[in-house]
Amino acid sequence: MDNRVQLKTRPSEITRVEDVWLLHVPRFGEEGTHYHTYGMLTPYFRGLGEGQLMATRCVNPRCPIGKGHSELWLPPRADCPDCHQPMVWEQVKDPRGYIYAYTHVERGGAGLEIECPYYQIDVKIPGVGTIIKSYLIDRKPIKIGDKVRAGFRTGQSATNTCLDLYWELA
Amino acid sequence: MIEFQPGNLRVPKWTRPVYMVAAGTTDYRKRYPQKKLEELCMMAFRMLLEENDLKMDPLEVKGLINFACYGEFADHFQDQLLCEAKVHDYLGLDLLPNVGIKTGGATGGSTLLMGATTVASGMADCALVLGWERMDEVQTWTGNYYIASAACKDFETRLARNYASYYAPMARRFQEMYHVDERVRAEIAVKNRRYATYSPYAQQSGRHTIDEVLSGEIVSDPLRFLECCAMSVGSAAVLLCSEELAFKLTDKPVRLYAAGGSHTLRTGDRRPMRILLLPNETEESYRELYKEMEKHDGRWPGFESFGATRFAAYMVYHMAGIKNPIEDLDLIETHDAFTISDLQTYGDVGLTLYGNEQDYVTSGDCYLTNPHTGKQGKCPANLSGGLLGTMHAVGATGIFQAGEVLWQLQGKYDKFHGDPKLWERYGKKKPDDWQSLQVKNPGRGMAISHAGVGSHVVCSILEKA
Repeated sequence: MDNRVQLKTRPSEITRVEDVWLLHVPRFGEEGTHYHTYGMLTPYFRGLGEGQLMATRCVNPRCPIGKGHSELWLPPRADCPDCHQPMVWEQVKDPRGYIYAYTHVERGGAGLEIECPYYQIDVKIPGVGTIIKSYLIDRKPIKIGDKVRAGFRTGQSATNTCLDLYWELA
Repeated sequence: MIEFQPGNLRVPKWTRPVYMVAAGTTDYRKRYPQKKLEELCMMAFRMLLEENDLKMDPLEVKGLINFACYGEFADHFQDQLLCEAKVHDYLGLDLLPNVGIKTGGATGGSTLLMGATTVASGMADCALVLGWERMDEVQTWTGNYYIASAACKDFETRLARNYASYYAPMARRFQEMYHVDERVRAEIAVKNRRYATYSPYAQQSGRHTIDEVLSGEIVSDPLRFLECCAMSVGSAAVLLCSEELAFKLTDKPVRLYAAGGSHTLRTGDRRPMRILLLPNETEESYRELYKEMEKHDGRWPGFESFGATRFAAYMVYHMAGIKNPIEDLDLIETHDAFTISDLQTYGDVGLTLYGNEQDYVTSGDCYLTNPHTGKQGKCPANLSGGLLGTMHAVGATGIFQAGEVLWQLQGKYDKFHGDPKLWERYGKKKPDDWQSLQVKNPGRGMAISHAGVGSHVVCSILEKA
């Protein structure tokens, strides 16, 4: 068993409509493919493939929660749930955090693209209000509080999905 | 920190009281090829009409129905949209109106809630609430993927495709924050599966030991095989009606109160809040807990608690006049899809304070007979066998559990679990050492129906009239 978790998937195909990515999700042949839009979250997924972790922030001074400078959202959202105004994109530079919760996945459901076993981890990142779920690329025992840093599947190895973000022990 | 605004905490005020008078169910099986789905629904409907000692002929009772609410979790398991129309027609209820209701694992409870509002509002005088699930058309691991499509498709489904793996991080976090001994989780599996051995409807009853649970195969660390419910096939139904009709139909009517809450699909998106206090709690109750949370970078509801359950409990307690749940409730059915969700729920519904859930289980008050005192537990939990032991045919689950509470309040546990002919109906033999799990003279019980990692929750209180 490799000491680093591998994916067993091929890059998902993408159709571009203006600035938006449509993810191809094949079901039964060409006619049965679903075209799932990333909509206004496209910058997040495009960012992963370029090695950037993009988050959103509410900068509306009238937002009752953010008051003009909310914590970052990861997963991102195009619109603020508290004031309903569009949020702005911001890159999380050198993303690091710690393991807030985790599980060791020994077997997943049909079609799982990550090679088992692996740790599914929830990562708390300073300045980010939410806690993002992802996976750890190391196959070493872990505990809550362990520090991690983000890694990206970029270029030819990008899958064009959330799997392009992973974490390694820092 | 997000806060409730004026209006958010308005307690539901139904226009008139709602009663539950009858329940019906099938048995539950991992695979049930002997019956088509609508045939299973007929089994539950027939039992509801014919076996609840109603004071009218079954077809007369049927003639009272004005509205039907149907619960089904997932269309894709059967590849059948508008299954509601097939079932409605099969039950012979055309041209009456019906609606289908979907809120994941809480579908049964939401269907009950919606059915109750039809009676409460006067839209109906007598409403059928019926739910089902058929999860046996696909192999287990495809089924697991289908269920995991109730995780966020863009950001989380690809990270496991197995629902236990979305619960397990909550178990891990809860365990570390509250120093939970995993034997306590295992004890819940042992208890509920054991209670299921007295139920003719049960799919996976068993006499297990704590060691056996803990030595079992891991599904998603730390959750073991016997700590997780299984996929299930079956149907359950209850009949709701107005006060006037309830007393015409039965000598044992039971009043129903129900309320719901909801929360994010992604656990990590739950932003911190102050704990919504139940009638038996004060800010002082949680002074230490807030300090403890700071040490662990904890938050409420966070990964440890279910905000939607707390919200639904808050509402239903105010509706039903519950001042102190541990004193005012005589039994409870929790949504024990996993041992951890059962454990977490005791704090959410205020049977104990947050942080004391483990001690609550080990106190023995969640047993019918408290193992420490030999007396009845204060609020026995999941005497039906729950999801771990008896069933999780998702759309039926919340309805089945409410029906079990109804029968308890009517003093009919033995009638619906102890009749050897009932066991034979499902091709089983009543165990020689069968025991009655009838609670002694219960006045009120609660059923909790719960979805996702806490995305939708309905709490229903049943009260002997």
